[in-house]
Amino acid sequence: MSSPAIKSSWWMPDIPKSAVLRRRMLWAYVFVAAPIIALLVFLAGPILFSGWVSLHRWDMLSPVGDMPWRGLQNYVFLLTRDTVFIKALGNTFLFAIGGVGANTILGLGFALLLNSKIRGRAVWRVLYFMPVITAPLALAVMFSFIFDRNYGVVNNVITALGLPRQPFLSGPNQALMTLIFIAIYQYVGYYIVIFLAGLQGIPQDYYDAAQVDGAGNWQEFRFITLPLLRPVMLFVVVTNTIGALQVFDLVFATTGGAPANSSMTVVLHMYNTAFKFSRMGRASAMAFILFAIIMLITILQVRLLRDRTYQD
Amino acid sequence: MSIKRFVLVFLSLALILTFGATTLAQDTTLTMLTHWGTEDQLAAQQVIIDAYMESNPGVNIELVTVDFGELRTKIITGRTAGISADVYHFYHLWLPDFVNSGVLDQPPEDALAFINENVAQGTIDAVSTSDSQTWGYPTEVNPYLLVYNKRLLAEAGYDAPPGNWDELKEIAAAITQVDDTGAISQLGLGVMPGWDSGIVHPFSALLFSNGGNYLSADRTVAEFNSPQGIETLQLYADLVASGGTDPSINGLGNFPSGTVGMVIMAPWWRATLRAAEGVDFETEVRVAEIPVGPSGDTPSSIAYTWLFAVDSNSPNKEAAWDFIHWMNAEHSEGEGSAIGDFLVNALGAIPSFDHDQAAFAESMSDHYVSAFVAASAYARPEQIVAGGQEIKTLLQVEIEAVLAGMTTPEDALASVEGQANAILEEQRMMAEE
Repeated sequence: MSSPAIKSSWWMPDIPKSAVLRRRMLWAYVFVAAPIIALLVFLAGPILFSGWVSLHRWDMLSPVGDMPWRGLQNYVFLLTRDTVFIKALGNTFLFAIGGVGANTILGLGFALLLNSKIRGRAVWRVLYFMPVITAPLALAVMFSFIFDRNYGVVNNVITALGLPRQPFLSGPNQALMTLIFIAIYQYVGYYIVIFLAGLQGIPQDYYDAAQVDGAGNWQEFRFITLPLLRPVMLFVVVTNTIGALQVFDLVFATTGGAPANSSMTVVLHMYNTAFKFSRMGRASAMAFILFAIIMLITILQVRLLRDRTYQD
Repeated sequence: MSIKRFVLVFLSLALILTFGATTLAQDTTLTMLTHWGTEDQLAAQQVIIDAYMESNPGVNIELVTVDFGELRTKIITGRTAGISADVYHFYHLWLPDFVNSGVLDQPPEDALAFINENVAQGTIDAVSTSDSQTWGYPTEVNPYLLVYNKRLLAEAGYDAPPGNWDELKEIAAAITQVDDTGAISQLGLGVMPGWDSGIVHPFSALLFSNGGNYLSADRTVAEFNSPQGIETLQLYADLVASGGTDPSINGLGNFPSGTVGMVIMAPWWRATLRAAEGVDFETEVRVAEIPVGPSGDTPSSIAYTWLFAVDSNSPNKEAAWDFIHWMNAEHSEGEGSAIGDFLVNALGAIPSFDHDQAAFAESMSDHYVSAFVAASAYARPEQIVAGGQEIKTLLQVEIEAVLAGMTTPEDALASVEGQANAILEEQRMMAEE
């Protein structure tokens, strides 16, 4: 005999009425509620609060209830008068474009090499991945020495080759490019691993069939590897872009945005605005502008790459 | 173990724990936040703390130190998180911001009387807001002067430090040595990029020695964008052009290694210079007045101050003020205060209190600190104003832009002036709200 069903509701499906099952369902909802509550408290709550703060002037020291209302003034200031923000936005885009482009191309290139039958493949994989597990601040300090204008090893090599000494991190025209290089060194190993996993997921049968049809290496790459790697490419491009647009630690520890804001990025400017100048409202507005930009770019990237993936 | 014995042991333990907890609860724990974090400085501060705790049973002092660059952030985030320290030692430029936000407790009357009685008025003003309210015990007074390496000047053919800017440019260029690969092995005048005080304080010292001003006397308008200010920034541009300075070399880090001829610095650097291996403190390190600019008459300088104050949220304000007073008071006539001893002997800074200046006069009479003591008589106090930190950082960035050849002195100062005045205006409106 089947148990009578509990009256269904929008939150509970139609299930047999039994005390044991009801207790189980209750516990299920308790367990599900815990992470949801944590999510609301620790993620949604701060985001909403930050949005509220972005419409005020708040120094983080005065009581929250005393924040003077500013409406959209913080947003208007950032987009029209804050020259550092505009500069930082440009730098951040350059950083993202350079970093994402290089990490994608190099990551795929090295993954193809490591996927082939080369000697010491495991050692190469470890070597490429080591910067990923190195503390970013340690890397930053190390590269500050490596790229020093006067005693850095890179300049010693350059001058030994008869080329002029370069300022790198201390030069307004080179600081950002140097940071992009360091970021590529730091993260390319991660993307190599991702691409490698994607490559190893492509069935060998496709390549065998292509070879029977007389396809060469380039044709295999162009018509089998690349199309089947598109989901991986999408992941690499999207996550790398999001990470690059939020870059902070590397810049903070190497140049601090110097010289003269030539390597200033949005998140570092946000940090300075919030904690150095006590303008949490403006910093929160910055966070929301950056969020909107990241969301827009991500949607574009997903549409561009996803649509073609499914068509193929 | 029988049940009876178990119960007996359990009850005894419970009694001991309860009693212990009650005893602990009766203790007062104060947290002191400072930026004096080197091993020697920590040890010296701990000696003071231990002495206070020994003479004040029931009061525990916990010392927390962070790097200067993180101090303001630590204070702000600590307050926001509800875990603020009881006692702060902070840079006086932040005072108006902290006061406006209600961070600080007003010192008790006896503390104010003690400060008024024992500190010079100029120093009291430096730790007071525009309404003449004093907010804490002033500590180190730091004027800026030209610190130079006598050996490097002599090797370049000069037996005296520069007295004016032409001499400064000439000597700086003469000291600089560049090898055939383009590496700078020795630099004339070191600057300190990336650090707002390291850039703006030397700039202000030169500006004042050129007859210029930072802000107006009533602190409502920026005045650094003046002919004197432009001349000062032009000096930087000229020094870069002649090779006398180079922003890729940090003066603060390289002077102690004996590869930088001159820097404009504060007295607290003495401990570092004494311990330096590349330069002999006794025979090579010398101090001179700031060279006078073309529009100036006499050497001038800037001096900044720090202060001890109490957080308004502290549950132990009275104990906190008592501790601060104990550190700053002289316990036997002529011996100076504990903090005065620390400032002079551990840092090389000039203490604010008269009794410390008298007690440690001999320690401050060396060739290094004595010059700063003399300068403290004429150095102009850094003008503190709400938003002052932001203005300072904006100016730092523009000075660095001039050093990097990215902008002209005129454009740099005009840009900061507009932003600085907007900040000052905004702060005024905030105060009126």
